[in-house]
Amino acid sequence: MEHSPTNGWRGSLLHVDLTAGTARAETIPRDLLIHYLGGRGLGVRLLRKAYGLDPYHPDMPLIFAVGPLCGTPAPTAARLAVVSRSPLTGTVYDCSAGGRFAHRLKSAGFDVLRIVGRSPRPVAIAVTPAGAKILPADSLWGKTVGETKRALSGKGSVAAIGPAGENGVLFACIMMGEGNAVGRGGLGAVMGAKNLKAVVVDGDLPVGLADRTRFDRARQDVMRLFRASPVIFGELGISEYGTPALVDLMRQRRMAPTENFRKTVFDGSGNYSGPAIRKAYGGKKDGCHGCPIQCKKSAPDGTHLPEYETVSHFGALNGIDDLRSIIRSNTACNELGLDTITAAATLSAWGEGRGRFPNTEEVPALLEDIARRRGEGELLALGSRRVAETMGNPGLSMSVKSLELPAYDPRGAYGMALAYCTSNRGGCHLRAYPISHEILRKPVATDRFSFSGKARIIKIAEDANAAVDSLVACKFSFFGATLEEYAELLSATTGEGYTPQSLKEIGERIYLTERFYNCANGFDVKDDRLPERFYREPGSSGEGIDVPPIDEKRFEEEIGKYYRIRGLTPRGTFTDPGFLSRLP
Amino acid sequence: VRDQIAKYSARLLADRSALPGRIAFAAQDDTLLSDGNPELAALCKGVLPSLSCLGLAAARPSLPFADFLVRRAPAGDARIVPRDTETRTFLHDIPFLRREELSGDAIGRIAKLLGNRKGMIAEGLGIVAGGTVTVEQAYINYSSVFHSVFVKYLLDVLAEGFLLPGEKEAFEEFRAGWLRPLSAEGLAFRNGPIVDPGEILAEIAAVGRHTVERGLVDSFFGNISYRLGDVIYISQTAASLDELPGRIDPVPSDNSSTAGITASSELLAHRRIFEAGGVRAILHGHPKFSVAMSMLCEEKDCPIKDCWRDCDKVRLLGGTPVVAGEIGAGGLAKRVPPVIAASGKALVYGHGIFTTGRTDFAEAFHAMVDAENWCRGEYFRRLAAKFPG
Repeated sequence: MEHSPTNGWRGSLLHVDLTAGTARAETIPRDLLIHYLGGRGLGVRLLRKAYGLDPYHPDMPLIFAVGPLCGTPAPTAARLAVVSRSPLTGTVYDCSAGGRFAHRLKSAGFDVLRIVGRSPRPVAIAVTPAGAKILPADSLWGKTVGETKRALSGKGSVAAIGPAGENGVLFACIMMGEGNAVGRGGLGAVMGAKNLKAVVVDGDLPVGLADRTRFDRARQDVMRLFRASPVIFGELGISEYGTPALVDLMRQRRMAPTENFRKTVFDGSGNYSGPAIRKAYGGKKDGCHGCPIQCKKSAPDGTHLPEYETVSHFGALNGIDDLRSIIRSNTACNELGLDTITAAATLSAWGEGRGRFPNTEEVPALLEDIARRRGEGELLALGSRRVAETMGNPGLSMSVKSLELPAYDPRGAYGMALAYCTSNRGGCHLRAYPISHEILRKPVATDRFSFSGKARIIKIAEDANAAVDSLVACKFSFFGATLEEYAELLSATTGEGYTPQSLKEIGERIYLTERFYNCANGFDVKDDRLPERFYREPGSSGEGIDVPPIDEKRFEEEIGKYYRIRGLTPRGTFTDPGFLSRLP
Repeated sequence: VRDQIAKYSARLLADRSALPGRIAFAAQDDTLLSDGNPELAALCKGVLPSLSCLGLAAARPSLPFADFLVRRAPAGDARIVPRDTETRTFLHDIPFLRREELSGDAIGRIAKLLGNRKGMIAEGLGIVAGGTVTVEQAYINYSSVFHSVFVKYLLDVLAEGFLLPGEKEAFEEFRAGWLRPLSAEGLAFRNGPIVDPGEILAEIAAVGRHTVERGLVDSFFGNISYRLGDVIYISQTAASLDELPGRIDPVPSDNSSTAGITASSELLAHRRIFEAGGVRAILHGHPKFSVAMSMLCEEKDCPIKDCWRDCDKVRLLGGTPVVAGEIGAGGLAKRVPPVIAASGKALVYGHGIFTTGRTDFAEAFHAMVDAENWCRGEYFRRLAAKFPG
């Protein structure tokens, strides 16, 4: 096998200082690449000197990091992670996103784009194999994402913020030009604080493979597993219907968050199910660069159709069953640069607090107000935790570590309940993704109403997914494939020897690094808790399914187990203050 | 977890894939526990902490085929590569350690292999398999290795004969003692057509149990369905056929709901067979002789290399058509429906058999038994013809 600087990794980081107005390429030590892979892992490692800074501090890096498989024909690997510290949660934060931007960044010759500083005036960064140019963007400031993308489209693939990012909305996202979002955690606000409106990347440098034959065999193995997966390529799966394929299933399992999680069944959910969206809009297949699954769907006019979380939260969570309204909300968030999950969940918490959920006529104006930070939007722009506290009722916020929960009610899946709390970035479903086994039966089914074994399962899955986020591959791949096949792809690409076990050990290193950063910033067991509602109120039982409140004592026992498995103290913290110094 | 260990230890005995008294499991949550045969339990307890796995199974197979395959493998080989669908799709290959490699740091060597694969063979000890998520998954992986080894050994013996001392005698003992006559005798089936959904669910569960109990499918493979009007009732993906209550999805024919996203990966094949008309019940199993025989092709100078995927010919095995095609969306759903109507049976290369019933499962079950019996008889006939005496 060949070891070449172009096999998988470029070994190159592009550092841009917006305060100084300079850019330079740096070599990334191969040791770091081998031990942290790329994407989330490498980005988190590169935060080691900055994790204690305020998210808006000029020296806080905003890191775009691709992985070693990006630029190869590895399925679903044209992705990147954006890493920084979240202004919404205060945690270290990474977001995985697809589209074409990651592929272009790799093709420009870089594994990482690291942005620090604050420009005195609005700028955009243009990246090519020659390096980076900082371009004035005064004329783009205030523009929507779509307008910005159109203005820059001739220069390559675009990642841009909308008005929400410019105005410091705590859940502002970064939108890729193809409609993919660096959605959660407010990294768009970090970008806005740097006066950075957009990054545009272009390049055509190829990525080498150390062993083409081995790579092709592994790729065939992955594709065979995709075809064998009912969730991926099944006729009711996400390739056909996108993630809204889950709407009917969550309704059937009685775990669709409804009216700010007061209920778990919404009678109108059939109006925005996968088949309903297809019937109304056709659902043309769309997706990330080179992805065989093509789970994104678009309307004939090119409108991006919403994901499961978005339809459910702009639907059931706010008591809305009008599909057109939901799609309008999704489009508004995309154009304004708002995370759809937090936007919808914040409106829902606020709605419960004022005694009435927003109706279809109110939502568009409220979203606009949030992005512009005017009227009610000034408060709503802070996310549900701060809204609920301001309203004098903190229990209204259905969040963990200030990150609003997505559309899987934790009373219907106890591994999910645990994973919301152990996630280093707050209430996220994707860190351990127990929905895979608790609901979708992959790789095998587990009892969703039991905590038995879940602490260990969640720990293993968090480690595995930290590696996946560092390859960077799409989580959906793992409804079919496993780390066995992706370790083969990685070994064949880089010439290094990886196994599923070694990838999980890398994932563990990444997870613990993040947790150490968070603990150093004051997080501990008090933050690893669900909102009180889930311990006190039942979900919507019926049809032979009982949805009781979560047994708080049993939950806390399982958190304790989880800490022991992780080697943490009973407070969820580290015994060794020098922990990081022992890591590569 | 102890309940799970007891349950899956019992299953290894019930499906006769492991020897009584030679089974052990280990599991780890915040503590590590093991149970079963002391030597194997100690092995599991040693290996598991090195793995990001919840469970581990180690057992001595009830047949010596795994050890024979290891000993038949050329010096220098470290893995066997069965070509059946289960291996090709899920296991890829099965690494092994020879007896002499198990002295010294056996635990470390076994852990290293299991860090890369779902199961392995330790010569003289048995099959060791991990389960990332559950103890059940460790059982499933053990069972998959056992199945793949079984099929590969049948094929290797038919191709090369007996090569090792004691091999022939062991094989004769397998034939005379381990194999049991296969029939549907003593089983009760509901007469069709079945028109009550509750009755359909009950019958699917019962027939699924029969299919496992008669050895027509292993672990959580296989699937089963019944059509009533515009609804297909089908077993869920990753569901053991003998544990189907609560694991059957009603799927509307017009796909007006996607709640059946958890249905079997072969939903499309079932749907296409139903659409061809004339049947209400479909059964899919992986009987071992049928799987092995489906992989024997006498075509000479054929340019196709990936027969299991690319072959477009239809062969016949005792009146049962054999076609190629991968699982799920991989071609099986296209190739099975056109050939299954005539006989109510279709074999998929290296994979398993689909059978149908016009009104109920009795016909489908009997068809599967008949096909497997024919393949079993034909296998031994060919073996005797090729290696007389």
